[in-house]
Amino acid sequence: MAEKYAVRNLRLCTKDCLCLYVCPTGASDTENSIIDREKCMGCGACAQACPSGAISMVPRIMPPQQPKEETVKTALRALIRSKNRQEAIAGALPGVLAQAVARSARLTAEDLCREGGYMLPQSENARQFLQYVKELPGIPAETAEELLREFFGEQS
Amino acid sequence: MKRYVCSVCGYVYEEEKGVPEKGVAPGTRWEALPQNWVCPWCGAGKESFREQGVPSASVLGPDPEAPEQMKELTPMEMSVICSNLAQGCEKQYLPEAAEKYRLLAEFFRKSGEPELDPSLEEVSRLVKQDLESGYPYGQSAAGKAADRGALRSLVWSEKVTRMLDSLLERYEREGPGMFRDKRVFVCTVCGFIYVGEQAPELCPVCKVPGWKFERIEGGENVWQKNMR
Ligand code: SF4
Ligand code: SF4
Ligand SMILES: [Zn+2]
Ligand SMILES: [Zn+2]
Repeated sequence: MAEKYAVRNLRLCTKDCLCLYVCPTGASDTENSIIDREKCMGCGACAQACPSGAISMVPRIMPPQQPKEETVKTALRALIRSKNRQEAIAGALPGVLAQAVARSARLTAEDLCREGGYMLPQSENARQFLQYVKELPGIPAETAEELLREFFGEQS
Repeated sequence: MKRYVCSVCGYVYEEEKGVPEKGVAPGTRWEALPQNWVCPWCGAGKESFREQGVPSASVLGPDPEAPEQMKELTPMEMSVICSNLAQGCEKQYLPEAAEKYRLLAEFFRKSGEPELDPSLEEVSRLVKQDLESGYPYGQSAAGKAADRGALRSLVWSEKVTRMLDSLLERYEREGPGMFRDKRVFVCTVCGFIYVGEQAPELCPVCKVPGWKFERIEGGENVWQKNMR
């Protein structure tokens, strides 16, 4: 399989359909307008043809995220935990402010978490995380296993 | 005449100039601005401003203390890892994988410890603690490690947290009336909360365009209830 595949930004796409015309495999011809990652052979013809600059080629395997210092990880996790509690408390309260606080706390925690080593679903951290959680009691283990298969080709 | 800088968005209030288009005459002293005056750019209250040229306490203080090391991931942490990876999948146009991560995120969120005595005062206490020690420690750790990614996210979320602090203080003073004829929006990229008639053109913290803001509904009911 080629190293890259095509993705279409639906916000930029103006539906001129040149990409359908040039694609040798029919990968860009899908009902939901999301290019079929399995069919795409990464030739890049669609990206070059698109008049709206809506298609970009992305690598199938992402380079690993830079390793994180322990001190940075500890600092980010302490803040994430504080944001977690803010979300949990605000989530249990009525009113527009509480609702906004809960949403905001989740978004900031996600951003800190991204920089804490969970940027990409293809990363080693994500793999170890899924390996760990699929053994936890009560968890929908099947879902975790599907993700492991999808991103890391792992059989259980 | 003095100048005061908004710690959320960087707007500078100059006493000499005032804000004539908002009815603040040139020469108006900082102290003379009403208590409920807010930053014309981002809506932060007066408490979020610092006098220009005067270093803030956190810069002068001793090195902030390191938080304790944590081994186990809590359910809420796992929930955030999952919802964040769901976003990562979405950016790569992998909607099915995103859906799976979202399902796991929801599972973990529900298995978190319930809050027995939830209150906005407790949120406010946590927010102040983040601003006093969490962010200063984080900035110094990320600075020493020259970790630009971490610094960027710390800067953004610290500003978002300052805004939160300001909103919670205003709420304590003004109550639900502060939302009268106003709507509440959250930036879906950085989490910045904006109170106004419509979403700002650009996010004052992360600078994404206004369509990235999400409107938070459901507040009107509470406000009406309190007014009856
Ligand atoms: S060529 Fe570009 S604009 Fe046209 S349908 Fe394809 S992606 Fe959309
Ligand atoms: S990169 Fe080539 S194979 Fe893939 S969708 Fe575009 S034109 Fe089709
Ligand atoms: Zn401001
Ligand atoms: Zn933003």
